[in-house]
Amino acid sequence: MSGRRVVITGLGVVTPAGIGIQEFWQAMVAGRQAVRKIALFDASGFPCSIGGEIEGFSASKFVPKSYRKSVKVMARDIEIAVAAADLAFRDSGIVTRGIDGQKPDVDSKRLGCNIGAGLICADLNELGSAVTTAVTDGKFDLKKWGAGGIENLTPLWLLKYLPNMLACHVTIVHGCEGPSNNITCGDASGHLCIGESARWIARGEADVVIAGGAESKLNPMGFLRQHLLDRVVKGGNDRPAEACRPFDTDHAGTVVGEGGGLVILEDLDRAKARSAKIYAELAGSGSACDPGGIEVTKPNVGGMELAVRKAVEQAGITPRDIGVLVAHGTGVPGEDRLEARAWREALGDIAEKTPAFAMTGAVGSLFAGAGGVELAAAAMALDTQTVPPTANFAAADDACPMGLSRERRDGRISYALTAAFGIGGQSAACVLKRYEQ
Amino acid sequence: MNHRRVVITGMGTVNPLGHDVETTWSALLSGKSGMGPVGLFDAVTFPSNFCAMVKDYDFAAQVPSAERHEHAGRHCKFALGAGIQAWREAGLEGCGELDRTRLGIYLGSGEGSLDFENFVSLMVDSWKGSGIDAVKWAELAFQRMDMWREVEQESNMVLSHLGAEFGVRGPAVNVLTACAASTQAMGEATRMIQRGEADVVISGGAHSMIHPLGMTGFIRLTALSKRNDEANTASRPFDMTRDGFVIGEGSSILIFEDYEFAMARGAKVLAEVLGYGASADAFRITDQDPEGDGAATAMRSALRDAKLRPEDIDYVSAHGTATQQNDEVETKAVKAVFGDRAYKVPVSSVKSMLGHLIAAAGATELITCVLAVRDQVLPPTTNYKTPDPKCDLDYVPNKARKAKVEVCMSNSFGFGGQNNTLIIRGSA
Repeated sequence: MSGRRVVITGLGVVTPAGIGIQEFWQAMVAGRQAVRKIALFDASGFPCSIGGEIEGFSASKFVPKSYRKSVKVMARDIEIAVAAADLAFRDSGIVTRGIDGQKPDVDSKRLGCNIGAGLICADLNELGSAVTTAVTDGKFDLKKWGAGGIENLTPLWLLKYLPNMLACHVTIVHGCEGPSNNITCGDASGHLCIGESARWIARGEADVVIAGGAESKLNPMGFLRQHLLDRVVKGGNDRPAEACRPFDTDHAGTVVGEGGGLVILEDLDRAKARSAKIYAELAGSGSACDPGGIEVTKPNVGGMELAVRKAVEQAGITPRDIGVLVAHGTGVPGEDRLEARAWREALGDIAEKTPAFAMTGAVGSLFAGAGGVELAAAAMALDTQTVPPTANFAAADDACPMGLSRERRDGRISYALTAAFGIGGQSAACVLKRYEQ
Repeated sequence: MNHRRVVITGMGTVNPLGHDVETTWSALLSGKSGMGPVGLFDAVTFPSNFCAMVKDYDFAAQVPSAERHEHAGRHCKFALGAGIQAWREAGLEGCGELDRTRLGIYLGSGEGSLDFENFVSLMVDSWKGSGIDAVKWAELAFQRMDMWREVEQESNMVLSHLGAEFGVRGPAVNVLTACAASTQAMGEATRMIQRGEADVVISGGAHSMIHPLGMTGFIRLTALSKRNDEANTASRPFDMTRDGFVIGEGSSILIFEDYEFAMARGAKVLAEVLGYGASADAFRITDQDPEGDGAATAMRSALRDAKLRPEDIDYVSAHGTATQQNDEVETKAVKAVFGDRAYKVPVSSVKSMLGHLIAAAGATELITCVLAVRDQVLPPTTNYKTPDPKCDLDYVPNKARKAKVEVCMSNSFGFGGQNNTLIIRGSA
């Protein structure tokens, strides 16, 4: 990347396998599985009733006292992002105005925010309690709704569901007045946000940016959409923990999960000046599109091979330099096969020999929340020089030759490569480099 | 930093005033209003029951490959029409040799419209006591909901349709920073070309929130004008009697291109992008920063990026939504940035005629900036009758004005506090 060097100095993740980077990483390294029967709503009417759910979670623990009331106007996606932001800033040691009891040490105008989001689903009980006041003869009555039913909906209702509200709440809590964006490209969102934010810093538009994504589809509407797309795992209800099997011979669909990851990107000189812990350097990123993605009933990985090639090229390295692949691994057989092929097309024969890892076996698909967590995992792999095992991976599908393992592997890792793709044909990739003094 | 110059070589639009650029432009210059009744559902009893909708749009006539996009949502169909217009004007049609891996797309598109009838019927029919019976809900949902209608609500689907239509293999991004989305998209598209990641980028936005829940949401926020009996003159940016925006819909798509690349292929340059600035208010989700500091920051960064001074700006295309708050705050911010010059620079809001196209607003407004330079005329702020002492700039009231225009600034501010500004000049 041209311009200033950009490093990752803070990690904040909220996942079914752990809240906070240490808890999450320990779970990954231990191969812990976190998929269970869904408790957030009664999913027994769906063919699949399991999910990667974050248990006992609320954002109220993660905001300053003065902001606690605002949690009421946050959809779950927003709560996840707000919590991940608190964790990321605290992990980085940067004090924003969102950290109670300490004096901020970052210039708000130089602090950016870029958080990926999905289509946020309305809370059906909240909306329903207003909608059902406008019923005539057992049917919804639009005239009655306009004439009064509408008043039964909370005034700020819309603001719970605008996808920019993940970023907006984070900017308000932490005083991020610099460049601000939110990308909505499905599972590719997190990588895209992080890649774009690094360029802001490289070009000097910001010194610090909080970037990544969050999403929860663990609600009836979001869950339904994944079923309609026929992406959800079949036959997993009796063995929830083993249901999501990325690249495995027995992969049979994905598990819908929820979560998010935000990373703190920082200008290298600023990070050095404050003697920050540096997890990794962001060495390259790329994105691509596959025109065939419009056919959403067919598996598609959004031209991921092009995105990966660009990221590797920008990092100025060769495939041989890469020590770990953090794969996307949805567990949908057609997608796993195309993903494995994309890795191979981009990197050559070495792709299948490179140690790889997919978190989906443990937590399921996190959608717009996936990328930030995958970047955090890549950063931890470099920081700890460890490739975690992939939960539920036993033997590779013949059409998915990937270097996954049931065992953790330790060894010298200089570069980590991660990529993701979303429904509709977009993809993105990032290369992280181990930072050495 | 030394970087590549970025130019605009094609533009297309489908909006309440026209289904192409020239029709729209002459409507704007003659002060026409795009407002009228809500033709998409029965909104008669809604506290605000009018809108600026796209009427009689002939999708099949504009999009030869219409069949391929049969599932596309309403806003996406607008975007395909606008995209094809822009692509043609840029001379890219039949440009088989264009390296598709160097073709990017960066949009600020909204979510697709909800399958409202089925969506509410599910809640009503599965309601039990104080909540839905989720099991019943699921059973009925599998009977009633259509996969395509659901998928097309994801805001990246416009990207997917345009990507398929034009064979995009390069970078592809959609952002949804509310009302600022398409301005943000065009700014980041510019950066993508400057950095050399693409030679040509399709950019702009598309949105339609003219559906019962979209209007409900804005009504509950008290953001919409309630002048049900005066729809044509309801959108009154900067006027004392303004009472909210009029919800619109549509799409505008522009072709952004590396200057050298455009020259080499003999493209006609319509305008050059000089500067882009982005910021956040970081204030409140419900209100703008009353001092307009965030808005001013976006304008200042765009000026700095363009290496220009406020004196160099000949026209400001305002965000100018006609809400009490926006227009006052934007006026303050323009004063903060422009100083004494604020009273001399014309500032107008075409939302007075077009309504608020939400995510698609910024791209539509940037098109008017390009045309203002081309024709040396400024589009007016219509429905301006009663001056507000807090809004005391030159808003180009009611009538288009001949003017010397070379450099324009276009502002977009989103709900939640994300602000974006672009600066362009006419073809060099």
